[in-house]
Amino acid sequence: MADKGFRSFLDDLDAAGELKRITKPVDCRQLSALGEQADQATMFENIEGYPGWRVATALVSTRKRLAVAMGCTENRVAFEFEAKSARPIDPVTVENAPCQEVVMKGDDVDLTSIPLPLMHLFDGGPYISGTFAVSEDPEHGPNVGCYRLMYRTPKETGIDLVSPSDMRFYYQRALDKGEPLPIAIAVGVHPLDMLAASYKAPIDTSELALAGGLRGEALEMVKCKTLDLEVPADAELILEGELLPIGWTADEGPFGEFSQISGDVKWNPIFRIKCITHRKNPIFYMLQMPWENDWLAAPVTEAAGLQALRIASVQPVDIRAPVGSCGYWSLIASIKKRPGEGKNAVAALLSVAEVKFVVVTDDDIDIHDPDELDWAIAFRVQADEDAVILKGARAKHIDPSVKSWLLGKGGLPTTAKLGIDATIPEGVPKILYRRIKNYGRDRIKLEDFE
Amino acid sequence: MSPLATTLKTSLETEARQFHDVVDDHMDVPWQDFLKAWGELREIDILKRDDDGAYFIEKN
Repeated sequence: MADKGFRSFLDDLDAAGELKRITKPVDCRQLSALGEQADQATMFENIEGYPGWRVATALVSTRKRLAVAMGCTENRVAFEFEAKSARPIDPVTVENAPCQEVVMKGDDVDLTSIPLPLMHLFDGGPYISGTFAVSEDPEHGPNVGCYRLMYRTPKETGIDLVSPSDMRFYYQRALDKGEPLPIAIAVGVHPLDMLAASYKAPIDTSELALAGGLRGEALEMVKCKTLDLEVPADAELILEGELLPIGWTADEGPFGEFSQISGDVKWNPIFRIKCITHRKNPIFYMLQMPWENDWLAAPVTEAAGLQALRIASVQPVDIRAPVGSCGYWSLIASIKKRPGEGKNAVAALLSVAEVKFVVVTDDDIDIHDPDELDWAIAFRVQADEDAVILKGARAKHIDPSVKSWLLGKGGLPTTAKLGIDATIPEGVPKILYRRIKNYGRDRIKLEDFE
Repeated sequence: MSPLATTLKTSLETEARQFHDVVDDHMDVPWQDFLKAWGELREIDILKRDDDGAYFIEKN
């Protein structure tokens, strides 16, 4: 078996003192509120009405826990992601898998046998929030992504397929032929697999090989019991089924979005489940919104930013996708600048996915310090020269400012983007930015006088 | 239709309610039983949504 799996990651968290175990009985209606209050990742060992099941949550809801998953320090996460993603390792197929120790098909399929949590106050129902969703297109091959599922019936869920994605594209192609799209959902995989799944890779890039690269070992896959698809062998739970060819017609949501907003009702397809498989004594993974999603999004956005800067021949020094922007909508980077590269860097970073706000500084600024950043913006920026606005770019529905409700069912919104070049302007002497330094600071120490 | 599903149906015919309000009214019911009853309403496709995302059922 592979070294890295969902359970080995739980062990890693435990060793790092980052996992709390709750042994008192907990109802599914209490899970989310309890998990949100814990300052560690949490394992609920005793779920009322669901003997044999456990629930794990908040596994990567801080940068520290994400760094545990990556096996590096917190400030190296983006660079580690970038380096490892450049060395993909193809998956391997295995015959027997823990995720298929228990099999339920046909009439035995019953989602209510799984401890589905009610997560947020205004959710439209219980949700499966942390998924590794596999689909396949005859021309483009397998694809993996992360999609939330809302409970509808013991054999059906809603699925949020509103935003542009490869699976949405696959579904549209099947829908055009009047056919369902077979998909399989894995729940309870290593966070590195989730990172790979959420990576906005080009359509013909293998997220499975990317997961292998991040792991440093091939992802082991097993053929589904009822579909011609493969799923991660070490997952805790697998749902096999199809997206019905009904288009965007079924109500889904609201759900506590990764934008930290409750969201609204969307119109989406329905996922009909034909087979459920899981481990013996399975662990259900409840991805805690928004923080787990946001911290998983950050390194993906940051690595995409690094890649965009390198393509633009700009040398990045540091980068961060602030969690306040959900690790998704903003990028702040420092660069080793040559003349003109402040603007090149802004343009490159604005090209990343749905990033709509960018700040670029010189490498003397610590971009993790908000005061440093404010100082750079205050004294290195002239709005008429250093602000760049890009109109009509791709957007996401969950940003209320794009007014997606005006678009109708299935419509795709656009947005304006803002970039700020907060590097020292060409022609301004660097000596004008010499910082205050206290006399004798390097040799006179406070502790010697206490 | 199960007695619980009938109760849920009657409630949603009376007024539109958020899902959490419906859940709050039945905290004494095992979660699995509640979900099965909710699923019964979904299966016969009678649940509607209002502008705030609340569920309601149109009375025949």
